[in-house]
Amino acid sequence: MNFWHVLSILFLSGGLFFFATATLGLLRFPDFYTRLHATGKGDTLAVFLCLIGLAFYAGFSLSCLKIIFIAVFMFLAQPTATHAISRAAMKSGVTPWTKEDATK
Amino acid sequence: MIDFLYGIGFGLCFLVLVVLYRGIFGPGVYNRIAAVSAVGTKTLIILLIMGFIYNRVDMFIDISMVYALLNFVGTLAAAKYLEMEK
Amino acid sequence: MIHNSTDVIIKTVARIFIPFIQLYALYVIMHGHYSPGGGFQGGVILGASLILLLITHGERVAMQRISENWITILFSLGVLIYAGIGTLCLFFGGNFLDYGVLAPLLHVSPAAARSLGILGVEIGVGIAVMSVMVSIFYNIARSGPYRNKGTTARRES
Repeated sequence: MNFWHVLSILFLSGGLFFFATATLGLLRFPDFYTRLHATGKGDTLAVFLCLIGLAFYAGFSLSCLKIIFIAVFMFLAQPTATHAISRAAMKSGVTPWTKEDATK
Repeated sequence: MIDFLYGIGFGLCFLVLVVLYRGIFGPGVYNRIAAVSAVGTKTLIILLIMGFIYNRVDMFIDISMVYALLNFVGTLAAAKYLEMEK
Repeated sequence: MIHNSTDVIIKTVARIFIPFIQLYALYVIMHGHYSPGGGFQGGVILGASLILLLITHGERVAMQRISENWITILFSLGVLIYAGIGTLCLFFGGNFLDYGVLAPLLHVSPAAARSLGILGVEIGVGIAVMSVMVSIFYNIARSGPYRNKGTTARRES
């Protein structure tokens, strides 16, 4: 259990925490756009932290470099996919939730 | 360390089952697309953790990279196809 | 008819990623004998990159890049490479796809001739799979006015 393993455990735990809160947001939020905020942002950060943690565990080798490539790709691609879903929903007329809906 | 990776893997599998609630009962189709994208993201990490447990990392990294690519292209295609005029 | 996407973000990100996806597909084809991959998987990833171009930039731009004539030529070329290497082995006295007998033609040992033969066959399969996927998608994209009136998609209330 050297220094890199301890760092890897820290990053993986942080990643699991953000996954759990993003899932809780996906279940409990009242509207589609707020749920999309939760899963788009929370999942992206959680995947990035988990992949950096696994890259620390793999040691200094070719596998570490490939995992960093996957992390950079997910960091760029996941927000674009979220943007595409949100734009398609906006064009189809899904209306946002306002405060009047809460008092009904 | 391997036991810790087992714990993370089981936690992520439980989270996938929780997200499937939104995939089944989400009102409308866009909630379901968001749920499928979230399931794909968690599956990517589960595949990599399996690679570390079986001690064959080189094989599972290529598989998980392909899965990330196909998840991205699939979400874009679904969002474009299921878009309806008002 | 698939229209152009009017959004700057999606078009720019797709334009950044398409060459890298194609480079990764070439890596998957070449390393088929050692890690998961080979001809079919690499061909699917190449096809996915061209489908990404089609759904983000629209049909007109994609057809300017690769027209239907080129797709027809490419899938015939892929099958020709595969069957051609097999028949070339027949001409030199071996069985069909028996790459060892090609060794005097390439001036290498029989083991290296087998490795090169497998690589050539995988490249042919990859080209054929890519062009068939793109051709099927072009065929689906041309069909009709039903695009915006989905019967299964319901609006959220």
